[in-house]
Amino acid sequence: MALHSTGHAVSSSNALLVVHCDGPIDSDRVRRSLDRFLDVCPWPAARLRRPFPWGKLHWAANRRDPLTPPPVRRQAIATVDELRHAIDAELNTAIDPRRAPPLRLLVLDGPPEVTGGGVLLLTWFHPLMDPRGAQNLIHHLVHLDGHPGDAPWGSTPPVFVRAADPRSFRERGRLARKSLEYMRTLPRVRPVSATDGAAGRVRFRHASFVEHESAARPARVTREIWWRLAVVGKAMCALWERRKCPDVPFLLPVAVDLRRKGDLGPTFGNMLAFHFARFKPSDAGDMPRLASALRDQMADALRSGQIEANDVAMDFLQYRPLAMVRRALRWKGGETFSFNCADVTDFPAALARCFERRVVNAYHVPAVPPRPGIGVFFNRCAGRSNVVVAWIEGVVTEDEVTRIVETVREGLGWTEAP
Amino acid sequence: MSTGHSPAGIDHETVAEALTAFVNTNIMARGRSVQPDDDFELMGIDSMAMLKVLLFVEATFGFWMPDEDLVAENLASPRALARYICRRRGLS
Repeated sequence: MALHSTGHAVSSSNALLVVHCDGPIDSDRVRRSLDRFLDVCPWPAARLRRPFPWGKLHWAANRRDPLTPPPVRRQAIATVDELRHAIDAELNTAIDPRRAPPLRLLVLDGPPEVTGGGVLLLTWFHPLMDPRGAQNLIHHLVHLDGHPGDAPWGSTPPVFVRAADPRSFRERGRLARKSLEYMRTLPRVRPVSATDGAAGRVRFRHASFVEHESAARPARVTREIWWRLAVVGKAMCALWERRKCPDVPFLLPVAVDLRRKGDLGPTFGNMLAFHFARFKPSDAGDMPRLASALRDQMADALRSGQIEANDVAMDFLQYRPLAMVRRALRWKGGETFSFNCADVTDFPAALARCFERRVVNAYHVPAVPPRPGIGVFFNRCAGRSNVVVAWIEGVVTEDEVTRIVETVREGLGWTEAP
Repeated sequence: MSTGHSPAGIDHETVAEALTAFVNTNIMARGRSVQPDDDFELMGIDSMAMLKVLLFVEATFGFWMPDEDLVAENLASPRALARYICRRRGLS
């Protein structure tokens, strides 16, 4: 939810977009594009400001402060281990937006057998942007590489923060309270993490698969978020059993991207509202029924206006520490939710080429909060279906992660990508 | 392109136009309009967006699509969904 301290360690709120290309990427071109971007988008040219202690993030420069552009770095790597280490370091070197630009770019060069040709990493402070916002930003940079001064979507200025809600403060306050009241009705989740909730190193595993069409399990069905939640729920069942709490129900946030569909746009910021899915581990025994129940829950949330109310509440709460959100919800003890799960769907076709290189694969890796400390994330790119499991070191073992990936692969009918 | 009428008198062309207008007004980005025969998935309509379409169908045509009808044949495009709605209304 935000940068928050647990004891003496600060947890990373970084998120990564990892883009593998079929050739080396020229970091000078990336830097030049970013410079052009800073010319047309007013906010990131200034150092991030946040009024003490937890005012809303904004990007207007203090008149007395120097401008701090986000860094673009290049790093040579020689082995797969070095590639892994470089990505791991980006994820774990926490961005503190009070002291540094909230995003950075890293170009990794190395032998084709290690990088596929070249790798571009975009790292950001995740309350700043959601994954689609990060794709929009890359798209804009790529466009500016060949079209200086011009935005790919026409004359609309690029923005990080949405236009102010035209509704009155009184009306927005009513909606936000409605969302909080709903959240208070949700049962607290008993802690099941293997750790004590302390911040730790973020680990992740990425695997690519190929999707198959079958009459019994059409790809259209397995692409639905409800089916994916059910599959991940099934994978977590085994984990809950090993934690000796097989009956503890799942409560997990489902992000709803409020952007219009169809293509990339000028909005880079975080445009997510949340719905909370609830089910019991035993429900995962009947996947079609569970998927249907999860769809019905979301339909109810849309019908009742809960998603809209959550959007307004997030606007009030965003960038606050998790502890402050918990106080607003009057939650005492327990975990905020059971695990993370999200599907970013297709990597945009408009980004099939990135700085004149063909995109071979791309996926995103968010750092998960210390508790629950585990998340499973999906996307599709260049004919591959990607799954990323991110976790806080100590929450699960490597073997458990392997089992989660295998359960997901089996549940979605995927085979290993060549 | 035929303009079929269901037994209940709903013109599926009109329904397809209503569905297309809803999607373009409430879901799609500016300048990214769908046409009645466009494939929903190819146009970026994910499962969450499709749920909004189903809620529109419920509010406008008075029924919630049962699970067994949520198949590609019925959900491929605004026109495919319009045909399903007309068939369903014709049966009811």
